[in-house]
Parts: sequence; C-alpha cells; structure tokens
Amino acid sequence: MRIEKCYFCSSNVWPGHGMVFVRNDCKIFRFCRSKCKNAFKKKKNPRKTKWTKAFRKSAGKDLAIDPSFEFEKRRNVPVKYDRDLWQKSVEAMKKVEIIRCRRQALHINNRHSKSKEVQRRSDNYEVTKNMGLIRSPAAGLKQLATQLDGEKDMSLVSSKFKQMESRVVEEVHDSDREMDVE
Amino acid sequence: MSSCTAKTNVSLTSQDFIDIVLSKTQRKTPTVVHKQYKISRIRQFYMRKVKFSQQTFHDKLSTILTDFPKLDDIHPFYADLMNVLYDKDHYKLALGQINIALHLIDNVSKDYVRLLKYGDSLYRCKQLKKAALGRMATIMKRQAQSLQYLEQVRQHLSRLPSIDPNTRTLLICGFPNVGKSSFINKITRADVEVQPYAFTTKSLFVGHTDHRYLRWQVVDTPGILDHPLEDRNTIEMQAIAALAHLRAAILYVMDISEQCGHTIEQQVALFESIKPLFANKPLLVVLNKTDVIRLEELNPEQKALIQGFINDDIPVMEMSTFSEEGVMNVKTEACERLLSHRIEVKIKSKKVEGILNRLHVALPKPRDGCTRPAFVPEKVIEKRLEKGPKIKKKTERDLEVELEDDYSLDLKKNYDLPADFKYDVIPEFWEGKNIADYIDPDIMAKLEELEREEELRVESGVYEKEEEEMDDEEKEIHRLAGKIREKKAIIAIEGRIGRSGGAPVMPRAGRKRERSVSRLRSEFEELGVDMSNKSGAHFSRTKSRSASRPPIKKARADSAGRVSSSSRVTPRDQSGIRNVELKAKAKKMGHKAQGKMNQFGKAGEADRHIAVKMPRHLYSGKRGIGKTDRR
Repeated sequence: MRIEKCYFCSSNVWPGHGMVFVRNDCKIFRFCRSKCKNAFKKKKNPRKTKWTKAFRKSAGKDLAIDPSFEFEKRRNVPVKYDRDLWQKSVEAMKKVEIIRCRRQALHINNRHSKSKEVQRRSDNYEVTKNMGLIRSPAAGLKQLATQLDGEKDMSLVSSKFKQMESRVVEEVHDSDREMDVE
Repeated sequence: MSSCTAKTNVSLTSQDFIDIVLSKTQRKTPTVVHKQYKISRIRQFYMRKVKFSQQTFHDKLSTILTDFPKLDDIHPFYADLMNVLYDKDHYKLALGQINIALHLIDNVSKDYVRLLKYGDSLYRCKQLKKAALGRMATIMKRQAQSLQYLEQVRQHLSRLPSIDPNTRTLLICGFPNVGKSSFINKITRADVEVQPYAFTTKSLFVGHTDHRYLRWQVVDTPGILDHPLEDRNTIEMQAIAALAHLRAAILYVMDISEQCGHTIEQQVALFESIKPLFANKPLLVVLNKTDVIRLEELNPEQKALIQGFINDDIPVMEMSTFSEEGVMNVKTEACERLLSHRIEVKIKSKKVEGILNRLHVALPKPRDGCTRPAFVPEKVIEKRLEKGPKIKKKTERDLEVELEDDYSLDLKKNYDLPADFKYDVIPEFWEGKNIADYIDPDIMAKLEELEREEELRVESGVYEKEEEEMDDEEKEIHRLAGKIREKKAIIAIEGRIGRSGGAPVMPRAGRKRERSVSRLRSEFEELGVDMSNKSGAHFSRTKSRSASRPPIKKARADSAGRVSSSSRVTPRDQSGIRNVELKAKAKKMGHKAQGKMNQFGKAGEADRHIAVKMPRHLYSGKRGIGKTDRR
C-alpha cells in the first residue's frame, strides 16, 4: 500500500480513493478526486491552475528547492529489512519534517513581509492626498482663534498654530520626507 | 459418434405432422378467393394449395428418411449394434413405410391437380382440394406407428456411446460381476455403475485413457454367460457385437476368487467358446480380485487351467481393482501389445510402401573409427556419488497431515531474515507520507548534515523574526487611511446610485434646493469644523426681507460682461466662487483635470455612446402591414 500523489493538484491519494487513468503510451495518471480528473480531461495545465501545488511551486509561492526534500524519494532498489534501520528512519523522518516545516514557514513569511512595505506606502499616500475627505483644514481653527484671542506675542501665536497643525497633519511631513527620499 | 446419429431435432407424431402441414398451407398461400373471379384464377388458387401441401409433406418425410442412417452404409459394428438393439427388419420396414407414404402423397397430389384443371366452379374446385388434402392426411395418419417407432429409435440412437471403430481400443469382457466396470473406472474417468448383482452393466460404456501420449478408448461390455449364440439376450448380444467387429485388444477378465458365482472352470469354458471371436486380436487374460486370493494359493487343477493359457502364448496377468495393485501394469501391457499389433498390420498392408517412403531415419556417417561417448567430468561423477540417495523433503502437506488441527499456514517461516525480525509488523504510513520512501542506508549521515546546516542557519539568525510592530504613528496613519478608503467607497456608491434607472431628470433650474445652508452645516460638521455661531457668515441668509427696503435691482453681468436681466440661476462657472481670480484658477484646474483622461483616449461623458447596438424592437418582428425590406 502506498500513498500516491495526485497528478493534478499533488495532494495525497490514500488507498481506496481517487481514480487512475492509464494512457495508451502506458503513462499512469492518478487523481485524488473527480475535480482533478475532470480538469485534466479539460486539458487544464496544472502549472497554471492557481490552487494546485504545481502552480504554487513554479510561481515561487511555496518553497520548492531545499535539501530537506531529498529525503522523501521513491527508491526502486529494495533494501533488505533491518529493524534498526527502520526505527532510525522513522525517527529521522520526524526530525526532517520539523526542519522542513520551519523552512517552508520562513519562506512564506518572507514573502508576506514585503506586503507590509507596500501597505505602508499606500497608507501614506492616501493620508497625504485625500485627507480632505475626512477632515477639513478648517477643523479646530475656531478653537485656536479663541485661544489666541488677545495674544500679543506673535511667536506664541505662530507656535500654537504650528502645534495645532502638527497635531493633525504631523504625518503629512513624514510622508513628504519619505517621498523625497525616493 | 459421427456416423450414427439421427440429425432431426424435432420429433413428430403423425397428428402433429398433419396439423403443421395444413396450418402451413393455410398461412403461406393466399387465402382469399371469390366466386366472381375468373375460373382460371380460382383453379390456380386451389391447385397451389394442393401442390404446396404436397411439397411440404414431401420435404418433411424425405428429411426423415435421409436423417436416419442406412444400415448398409455405416460401419458393420454399428450396423450390428443397431440390429441387436432395434431389430434390423423392423427398422427397415418403418423406413420403407415412410417412403411409401411419400410416394402415395405425391401421387395423390398429381391426380387431384389433374382433376382441378377441369373444375368448373369455385365449389367444385374447393371440394377437390378438400379431398386431396384429406387423402394426404389419412395417409399420414396410417404412419403413426412407424413414426413413433422411429422417434424412439432416434432418441436411443442419440444416447449410444461414441465409439470410434478405427482407433486404438481396449475391450473388456468376461463373466458378469468379475470386475470389468471397476477396472474401467480405475483406468479412465468413466463412472460406470458397480453393484454386487449380475448384469449391472446393461450396455456398452466407453472411457478414454492415455498411454505414450496417445488417446486410447476403453470399452466396457456387459457380462457374457456361457450358452449358445441363439439363446443370448439383447444385452449379451451387444457385447458379442463389440467383440466381433471392433479391432481391439481384448482383455478377458477372470475372477479367481470365484466371488462372481462362477468357478474358474466355467470361466475357462466360456473363454474357449468365444475364442473364435478373438482371432487376429491381441489377447490378454487378466486375473482379478487377487486381494482375496493369490494365484499361488490356488489348488493345482485350477493352476493347471491357468497354465494352459500360458502354454498357448496368451499372457496372464494379475491385478486387484480393489487394492489397485497391478492395474497400471495390465493397462500398459495391453496398450503395448495392441500398438505392436497395429504396427504389424500396417506394415503388412499395401499402404506401407507409401509411409515407408516418407520415413527416413538419418544416422550420421562416422567420420573415423574413434568412439565419442558422452563426457561427464570426474568431479561431477564424484559429486553425484557423494550426494547419496535422494532424500524426500518434508512438504507442507506432510506437516499438515501430521499436525492435523494444530497446523496453521505460516508464510513468514522461510524468510531470509534473523529470527526476531521475521515476524515484525512493518509500519507503512506516517502523517500522510510513505515510510518506505525514507528508507535509505545513508539516512543517518544525511540527517546529520541537514541538522548541521540547520544549526548554522539558526545561529546566523535567519529565523529571527523582525516583528516590527507598528508604532503609534504608523497605527494612526493606517487607521486614517482606512477611513479615507471607506469614505471613497461611499462616494463612489452614492455617485452610482444617481446614474441608474434612466428616469427623466429635471434640469438644473427646476431642481429644488440641492445646496442648502443646512446641508452645508451638516457636511462641515462631519469634517470637524465647528459650525455654531456663524451668524455673520457669507452662506447664512441675513434677514433682509423687510418691506421697508425695496430690492435693489442690480444689472447682473456674466463673465463676458453681457448683461442679462433677471437670470435666476447663477451660471455654473460662477456658483460657489468668491472672486474672479479664484474663478480663473478653478477654470484652469478643470482644464488640467481633463488632461489625464484625454491622454488615455477614453470615452468621456461628452462622447457618443450607444448602450444597445441592436435594440430588439427595431431589428426583429414582422410588420402588421407593409414590407420589411428596410428597417
């Protein structure tokens, strides 16, 4: 008994599940379910079908090349049964699995982290350009005016004004600076 | 049984015969005739019926005649057998009767057809036809007996055993109950009834056996008693017929224990009486039932009788069908004898020249005088001697027989593994993976390498996650950006609401109060501006509706300086704009905003757009009146 891989989506096909198609040139295609089989019959390319493992690996979304994948390989040379070898292999298998999972997770996280950068930039752009949609520049002016009523010292006035501005529009300066850096 | 079967499948009684033929006549010939037809047509109609039924009778009866074998044309063995079973005379008589009936029917039809030629009315023709068919039917009725007898013959004939008279045959004969049927049961797969009473076997039975890659027939006969030919009954006569006509090896079976009820003297006497039938046939005398008494234990007179056989050059063999000793020897001996006899006969015949011309035994011409025997190396000879006698290995079956109930089939017994590994249960899967894919003699080395690499990675900090939590600033920006996006989406939806439906729109002048002070207030409140106490603002109406002050009529001039009296609505390019500079600026901004769209070359509001290229009401349907040449 063996767990096979579905030709289309590369998921596990357990014994007693799925379908096997043997072509006239003796190539065997195993499918995990009729979804994959019907897609195959419609001549869909698994490398272009977004939800399959083949697409994910070829598009770099999942980790594809790594030494930890070399352990699981179908070997056609039978090895004579040796209890110690089997026991050690089972333990080794578990360790390899841990390492592989960790590496896969790292790959995916690295990929996701780039989106944070993009997100930050778009937020800054929105706030710079379209702040007027949620807050008028005239907001708080009246309060300031009442505060500064009777203020003789112009510097204070200007500083207060600046304060108020900075409170609301502080972020604008930041984003401006960033845009300059680009 | 190629020569001797009646091929007809259907059995017919005479009544059935008549019914079938008459109904066939009715179905297969035209049925309608009226008296106003031409007389020739009427005559033709009835003549056809008579002829048709004659033809059908003729066909059916002639098939019967041809299907039954003619006693002169078949092998004399079968002729004799049929004579014994069915009485040749009776058989020939029955067939003769059928033949006569055939001819009579033909004559009847001929006569009546001749009479019909002169029939002058429908009624007369009809009567003639009725008479003809009636006579044919009576003729058939008279054949009832013959037909019945022939039917029985046919059934029995189909059940006769298929004996090929020309192939190699062993014939077993002897007194009743000596063990002929048990012998044939032993050497072939035939299942002949074996019972303690005499004449258990009532007819001939055939079995087949193999010897030297050839098929041999073995024929079992009913027992023969010792009395003259005239007194023999049908059963014995079958055996006699077989003995007479089949060229076979004869096995004369004797019961030396005398359990059959006849003494050895009687059996020998029978042998002498049917001796003429054994001419030109290889003969073998077989002494059966040796498990009860052996040849040596017989008394001297009986031994002398047996000795007589041996003196006559007739081989005598012992066997016991009960204990199965000597049965195979008898068979082999009989087969060998028959084989050599047949070869002798073939050599003496005329055809042998032809065969011998085709046979040629090629012997290589010796090149020189030295002999070249088979070479076996000395070591091999030594080894062969060393090996000693062949020890019979103990098979599983032997073990099973020995242990009986305790035996259990253990397929893993002979595995080439150390003892404690043999019965291990091997796991197959783990977490959706095949364990067998991981089995590799070098797996530990590879694992070590991998773990080392992993350690290096961990040390170099690849896995350290720079979490980078957003600080408050960034959080605030993110929140505000979310709000902005929300507001944008709302604006887009609201814009789309107004567009749908296709309801007629009032012109600007007719629309009431879109822009109101209350609306202004609420919008600016939303945007965070404090709108309380805006009494002196530009947008608020001063209460100037007093009748004391008459309204000042101002000459309103538009942007180009043209005066238009009492234009109610402010033109679009002036509404909401404070002064002229701002107006110029607004115009400029408007121009600039269009640039992007124009550069893309996309269709705008002012561009012609046909939503439905082919509205159905214009392109389909028929005209109520007029043509549809042009639409």
